Amino acid sequence: MKLKLSLYFAAGICLLNACTDLSEELYDRVQSSDYGKTPAEIETIVGRAYSSLRGGASDGVNFYPTGEFVFFVTSVSSDECVIPTRVGGDWYDDGVYIDLHKHTWTADNPKIWAPWKYCYNGIAATNAILYQVEQSGLDAADSRPLFAELKALRAYYYYKLLDLYGNVPLDTTYVTNEAPGTSPRAEVYKFVEKELLENVDYLPENAYGRFTKAAANLLLARLYLNSEVYIGQARWEDCLTVCGKISGQLEPDYFTSFKTDNQTSREIIFAIPYDATVGTVGNYLASMTYHYEQMWAFSATGNYQWCGNGISAQPGLYSAFDENDVRRNSLLIGPQIDLRTGSTIIMPASGNPLDYTEEISNINEALQNEGARLSKYEDKEGDLWERNYDMVLMRYAEVLMMQAECNVRLGNPAAARAFVEQIRSRAGLSTPETIDLAFIDQELRREFVFEDHRRTDNIRFGTFFNAWWEKGADPADKHTGLFPIPQQELNKNNKLTQNTGY
Amino acid sequence: MACLACLINTLYAQEKLTVSGTVVNPDQAALTGVSVVSASGAGTVTDGDGKFTLSVTRGETLTFSYVGYQTVTETAGPEMFIELLPTAAVLDEVVVVGVGYGTMRKSDLTGAIASVSAKDLRKGVITSAEQLLQGKVAGLTVTQPSGDPTQGSALRLRGGTSLSASNSPLIVVDGIPGVDMNTVQPSEIVSIDVLKDASAAAIYGSRGANGVIIVTTNRETGQRSMSYNGYVAVGNAANQLDLLSANQWRDYVRKNNVAGAVDYGGDTDWQNELQRTAVSNSHTLAFSNGGKDSGFSGSFSYLDAQGIIKKSSLNRLAGSVTGYQYGLNKRLKMEASVHANKDTYQPTNMSIYQLAYNLNPTLPVMQDGQYTQIGGTQNNNPVEVLNNRKDDQTRTRILGFGKAELEIVEGLKGVVNGSYEYNSQQGRFYQPSYAYDGRSDRGYGRRNLDDYTNLQLETYLTYDKTFQNAHRLNLMGGYSYLNNTYEGFGAERRGFDTDLFDYNNLAAGIDFRLGDVYSYKGQAKLISFFGRVNYVYDDRYMVTATLRRDGSSRFGANHKWGFFPSASAAWRISEESFMEGTRDWLNNLKLRIGYGVTGNQDGIGEYRSLSLMGTGGGAYYDQATDSWKQSYGITQNPNPDLKWESTAQTNIGIDIAFLGRFNATIDAYIKKTSDLLYTYNVPQPPYLYDKMLANVGDLSNRGIELTLGANLINNDRFTWNANLVMAHNKQKVDRLSNDIYQTDAVPSGNLHDLTGMSGVFTQLLKEGYAVGTFWGPKFLGLDDDGKFILETDDAGNVIQQYLGNAQPSLSLGFATDFAYRGFDLNIAANGMFGQKILNAQAMNISYPGRLPGYNILDSWLDKNVTEGPIYSDYWIEDGSFLRLQSVTLGYTLPVHNAWFSRIRVYATGENLLTFTGYSGLDPEVNFSGLNSPGIDKSIGPGDNYYYPRAKTFSFGINLSF
Repeated sequence: MKLKLSLYFAAGICLLNACTDLSEELYDRVQSSDYGKTPAEIETIVGRAYSSLRGGASDGVNFYPTGEFVFFVTSVSSDECVIPTRVGGDWYDDGVYIDLHKHTWTADNPKIWAPWKYCYNGIAATNAILYQVEQSGLDAADSRPLFAELKALRAYYYYKLLDLYGNVPLDTTYVTNEAPGTSPRAEVYKFVEKELLENVDYLPENAYGRFTKAAANLLLARLYLNSEVYIGQARWEDCLTVCGKISGQLEPDYFTSFKTDNQTSREIIFAIPYDATVGTVGNYLASMTYHYEQMWAFSATGNYQWCGNGISAQPGLYSAFDENDVRRNSLLIGPQIDLRTGSTIIMPASGNPLDYTEEISNINEALQNEGARLSKYEDKEGDLWERNYDMVLMRYAEVLMMQAECNVRLGNPAAARAFVEQIRSRAGLSTPETIDLAFIDQELRREFVFEDHRRTDNIRFGTFFNAWWEKGADPADKHTGLFPIPQQELNKNNKLTQNTGY
Repeated sequence: MACLACLINTLYAQEKLTVSGTVVNPDQAALTGVSVVSASGAGTVTDGDGKFTLSVTRGETLTFSYVGYQTVTETAGPEMFIELLPTAAVLDEVVVVGVGYGTMRKSDLTGAIASVSAKDLRKGVITSAEQLLQGKVAGLTVTQPSGDPTQGSALRLRGGTSLSASNSPLIVVDGIPGVDMNTVQPSEIVSIDVLKDASAAAIYGSRGANGVIIVTTNRETGQRSMSYNGYVAVGNAANQLDLLSANQWRDYVRKNNVAGAVDYGGDTDWQNELQRTAVSNSHTLAFSNGGKDSGFSGSFSYLDAQGIIKKSSLNRLAGSVTGYQYGLNKRLKMEASVHANKDTYQPTNMSIYQLAYNLNPTLPVMQDGQYTQIGGTQNNNPVEVLNNRKDDQTRTRILGFGKAELEIVEGLKGVVNGSYEYNSQQGRFYQPSYAYDGRSDRGYGRRNLDDYTNLQLETYLTYDKTFQNAHRLNLMGGYSYLNNTYEGFGAERRGFDTDLFDYNNLAAGIDFRLGDVYSYKGQAKLISFFGRVNYVYDDRYMVTATLRRDGSSRFGANHKWGFFPSASAAWRISEESFMEGTRDWLNNLKLRIGYGVTGNQDGIGEYRSLSLMGTGGGAYYDQATDSWKQSYGITQNPNPDLKWESTAQTNIGIDIAFLGRFNATIDAYIKKTSDLLYTYNVPQPPYLYDKMLANVGDLSNRGIELTLGANLINNDRFTWNANLVMAHNKQKVDRLSNDIYQTDAVPSGNLHDLTGMSGVFTQLLKEGYAVGTFWGPKFLGLDDDGKFILETDDAGNVIQQYLGNAQPSLSLGFATDFAYRGFDLNIAANGMFGQKILNAQAMNISYPGRLPGYNILDSWLDKNVTEGPIYSDYWIEDGSFLRLQSVTLGYTLPVHNAWFSRIRVYATGENLLTFTGYSGLDPEVNFSGLNSPGIDKSIGPGDNYYYPRAKTFSFGINLSF
């Protein structure tokens, strides 16, 4: 009793209201229900969908589309790139890159998780934004184009998932916390097609960095081009039809689209804008490829970002280019000249000159200078870790090559030649009289080198399952054409089913 | 003349004199009930404040006697200050222990509470107050994973209860909970009480799960005194990695015909180049003047602690003032106190260790007045890194409080305690344009300010009553309000045309970036009602029950308030009549049992239950305006169900004292923590983010603790005391999943920042195992080519398996002191046994191909490994160690003159010897937390770096005036 009395007494000392008020006062953030009331606020919410395109990092897994590890996974599993273990163990990283090269990956390979994270991070963000725009009370005329843009962007992520993992969960809502189950690849395919068709007419005609009509059509064309792989049904004519709706042009100089200020390129249809001074992160592929001492080749004062000597071109890629092919300059090879001395840079660890070679003597113990380097985007003195060029996702050359390929596939190689010729002549090359599929395959390899196309092309042409370099032929069931559903995701959601073969 | 003198003498001797004085124990705590008897037979006893007055004849002697203490006889003076020394193990009746919102006699305690008095705290150069307790309390581990004077230590009681929240006990300073222990200086601390079990800690409710440490400073001294304490300390690195010297390197290169090896012609020990002999000094001035009705005390101290890495140092200025006064006929007491201190310190750039281990020993540090640079990854000159940077930090801590106690009626007391704590940290950093690493920045400057304030009001009533001389009842009930606000801002710039401004003129930098400025602010509230009943019958039976109701703004809408009850009982068997026959040898035998529920709300953080909008998603390009704009998005998965972690603990303990000189305490406990806070991986979508903070799992700790104390020899010439504390704890993660959140094992302990180890995890958080469980392949041997053979299954796959645990099975602390005439000697040791350490340090610098580019361990040349490091138990070692923590030898000069009442000089050696089989630099690595317990990375910039520990000798003096 006494205790109770004491409690009452204590409680009585202060005003009862303030005494037990536990409401949280917010200072540097707002409750989500209090934001998104004005068009300017809504614009900043929609902007989030585009900032999500740059990816992020969680669980120690970087999911940047430019390099670590989204591009790493696709390019190293194709015949384009490789990340060898360097002498001393650098880049061994538990053997995950060797597994990617040899197609011996397992579902718990953390790098294979990266593209999944990238796509679903974008999808979840887009779902939330769609919900917020719905809640904002914006009228139909104003909200319809926003919905179209957001849904088309979401379709872009689902397209990537369909391509990489095939059978994936389809989720389009924000409010429910019910985990979705696996949808078969054909269903995801249908969803992507439907979303693009329903929304393409509401998309902007011309808006750099945003999902335009041309971007949606190009994505649709990609979907049709790979239909045979995705749903076992070829749609070459459909691809041609959609390509016909896309207008665009080639820049006379192949490298205009890869300059630091590439936003001026008229060839680009869709790109992810970057500008390190506003804090964009993830755009550091250059630092993942060059040797540690590369800075002296770009700047006499060493004013160039440190590089980690990792990803290289797979042996054979450099030789796939004609010596007159301007596109061969996308690869860096040969001795690197120290701008301080005018002679070749010396690698401190071995005392040997830094001379990039196409060959790599041993994937498990590669010498530091082995492997041609990825040098497609511009490098300049003073470059920071985060580069400023925009990442090109779609450019008009792809439309031309799709038209060429579909014509060949449809038994009309003569019609294909005109498209190929535009590509070849810009590269400084003549065009053979007859174009066959093997030629298209190699031309795609050259034209879109290091643009994250190669795995999809390898699979469409069937070359993905062949033996190459240190890799043997894939198992006959060709299950490696799809990545496994990441084990980490299966652990979180028991409604998911693993792809066959894993 | 002689006669006159005689006469005067006689007159003088017969003069009446009123003596007033105070009797205290060696901890300066007042002793109540001390018998004071004059030679002529007049007598009295000391009151509750240890004070007495007695009318005697001048020149007469007074005899002070007290149970358990040596009797003292002194000539009467007008004001006397008597310190009684214990005869044997101090009897519990006289020791008062802080229990939170009041004190209790030790003999009345029902919970597991350990007390350490000032004289038993750790000796030596103390840069963080937590270090005072290392090896002193059974079950409390203090790890100091670094010799860096600017870094603190980690406290953990009884194994830790949380995966993601803090495992550090709640610190209560002079009745104010949640205070940074470093706010008060070691010299001001009188005693520290550690509330170990839940029945004791439950009075602190949702913050008590990791135990409570109650720090009491010397506020009421009851004497007039002035003192000076000072020391000078000299420290050197206790241990270094044995890497190849320049000549060893040359020898190796010549014998093996190593291609491409470059001899730069120098001879540099890069570790030595970074280190110095650290000279530290400390000075403390204290004074106090205590009386019956009022008193005050003040202290001022200065510490300059140099680190053994050049440029690293901690400078601390600290002061405190305390005053009190009684009024209303001694029924009202008011007191006020301010503690303030300011630290100025220079942290070390942790990358320098790796650089020192990497660099070619033939490279000189400087050439032609310039730092040498040979290029390469992690291969720049560490001396340049050390010197071409300015990192000046300051930290300010202020704690002020005012307290009023009113005796309303006899036995009923009301207490109001209002306090304000302010902690502020300021960072200043400049990397000049000529710094090798930041060349492209063309100068980089940064400033930041982070503020933290704690406003608290605690009010409570206590009621004490004794019935029929046998029933003692104590009731306490109260209310507390805590408002915790943190805020800060920072700015950085690049592109300075001159380096002359350092960090003082950021506007001079012309390279602007979006993330260059930031600010933040947040707040949390904690509101509580609490009460305690304590009943003692006949000094034989004691029961205590407590209840606390905590409400926190951090908790989710569905769980705003929590209840934390406890109950405990004790039986003093030795007081029973049937134990009459044992009285002559058994001084005390007490059995205690308690159960309680405590919480941990630390891991939640503010606003985690809400759906918030923020700018974290980054900028986006707006084509219409050709500019970048800030995007807004929902920043987290809201969880309205968030609540505290709940720990239920049962404790059984026995206290024994016998033969007047030995005592022992044994406690056994079972702690079960449920609703563990953990950041779960959730499927994305449906969740916006793939992480969610939720209360899901269960974790348990079981253990036994033993404290032994002995007063082995005690006579007027020689005393010898010894103390031993031991603890064993076994932890197990019982459950990590429920219906919604599923996980049975989470990889942890990643080696991401080591070469070639990106994405490699070495530990597993797994049901059925403790935190810090090493999991991976088993090493079987080396094959003929010097490659690792790992255990595989029939299919040839490497078997991932249990490889040991980072938590010790036994921790130990030992202290002994001797006193002979004026000399005193104190020896302290501490150790941990049974824990495993992953020598990631060795993994990182031991692989073929390091030579000639990088340096390598001498010992590695003899191991015929030809492969780069692959994680297996090859790299896991037994981390058991016993460290001779300190040895102090002191001498008190036999002076009693007008100037000094006491002069003592002493010398202390710290970290003198370490017995261990561990091959790395030091076995005392971080083993708390989830990130990398027991992983000796020893290099930066990870969270678990190693700053070499020093071996230190200090020389000091204590003066009392």
